[in-house]
Amino acid sequence: MSKIPKDQIKEQKSKIKRRSDDKFAYRTVIISCVLSIIFYAISLLFNVGVISIFTNINILFNMLDVLIKVATILLFFLFMMISVGNYKELTGKPLNWKELLIFIVLSLGQTLLNLWVFAFTLIGLLVIIIYLYIVQEL
Amino acid sequence: MLNISIVSSFYIINGYGAVEEIDPEFGQAPIIDGNIDDSTGEWKEAIKIQVNLIDLPIDLWVMQTNQELFISLQLDLEPGYHNTTEFFGILISTNSSESQEDFIDAKFIQFFNINTNNFTYYDYYINNSLFLNDTKSDGQGVGKLEGTVSVYEFSIPIGQTNTNGNDEDAFLEYEMSYAFNITYGDRPSYPEGILKSEIILININPPVVKELILTELILRIFSIIVFSIIGILFGYYIYKIFKLKEKIERLRS
Repeated sequence: MSKIPKDQIKEQKSKIKRRSDDKFAYRTVIISCVLSIIFYAISLLFNVGVISIFTNINILFNMLDVLIKVATILLFFLFMMISVGNYKELTGKPLNWKELLIFIVLSLGQTLLNLWVFAFTLIGLLVIIIYLYIVQEL
Repeated sequence: MLNISIVSSFYIINGYGAVEEIDPEFGQAPIIDGNIDDSTGEWKEAIKIQVNLIDLPIDLWVMQTNQELFISLQLDLEPGYHNTTEFFGILISTNSSESQEDFIDAKFIQFFNINTNNFTYYDYYINNSLFLNDTKSDGQGVGKLEGTVSVYEFSIPIGQTNTNGNDEDAFLEYEMSYAFNITYGDRPSYPEGILKSEIILININPPVVKELILTELILRIFSIIVFSIIGILFGYYIYKIFKLKEKIERLRS
């Protein structure tokens, strides 16, 4: 018969699980942050106009240009949300609306030079927020 | 040699004085590919006129940027009437003079089989009525048959200075007028293949300095500010992540 009480074993198991969860969350914080930085860099190149390889060739290339710009901003937003969300989870506080609003403003701030990019990014952000809200509620 | 001179006298001064004087508008540089893409507003800003090469009406489009002069020639003929080896050429005078000896530069788009859009762009210089290949080809030219219309697109550099004593090209300078002899022919032989031609005058406008609209400038500055703020926040966030790691390790121990 074991000399260690059952409660103690349970507590130890819970501690190990908690550590494993923390480790996973921390890894997610870092990986998501790195991905967010990568998409931020791509967005910087395209949205500030450092790279403009697709513009003024024809309408298809213009659309491709807008698509790349919108996609990089949305991916930046998504990974940043995941990273900061997990970070907040580790510190024991949830992600609040104020922080969410800052991310939305910073994402839309990247679209200032193109009205189409602004419009599609706004739609994309709304879709992501609605999706995350529904997932949280379920 | 005598034979060539006689023929060339015929082709170069076919008209009596320039039929048109064109002040090209500035616009977005078109892509020289033989296609006129309406979806992107290509050639939208070009001056568009019809010119008769004797009895052959063609559409002539002219526009410029700070670096290039763009000329498009379009010939619409009934199906089957395009000669398989037709060509269009532009002979350029060193100034507004229409004298034969002042046309020293020639650029041709020569089809070898118009039905398969097989063509070659040539840059020649004219020496005593002889067409000789330039040691360095300048400009661009593409031809394409689209239905019943053969489209020819030329781009010619402007605003370049002749520093090497190059006498193979007519250097187009700003605020100067130049005579252009538009020629049409049916076989890859110059000048013998030239059938019809007409002279036009083109005034090269001075370069325009692009003025950034104030709102565009403000938006650009704001955009850079936003990206800078994100960059700074990333730095701060990475610092916080490392601090968090230390905190977690401390709690574990």
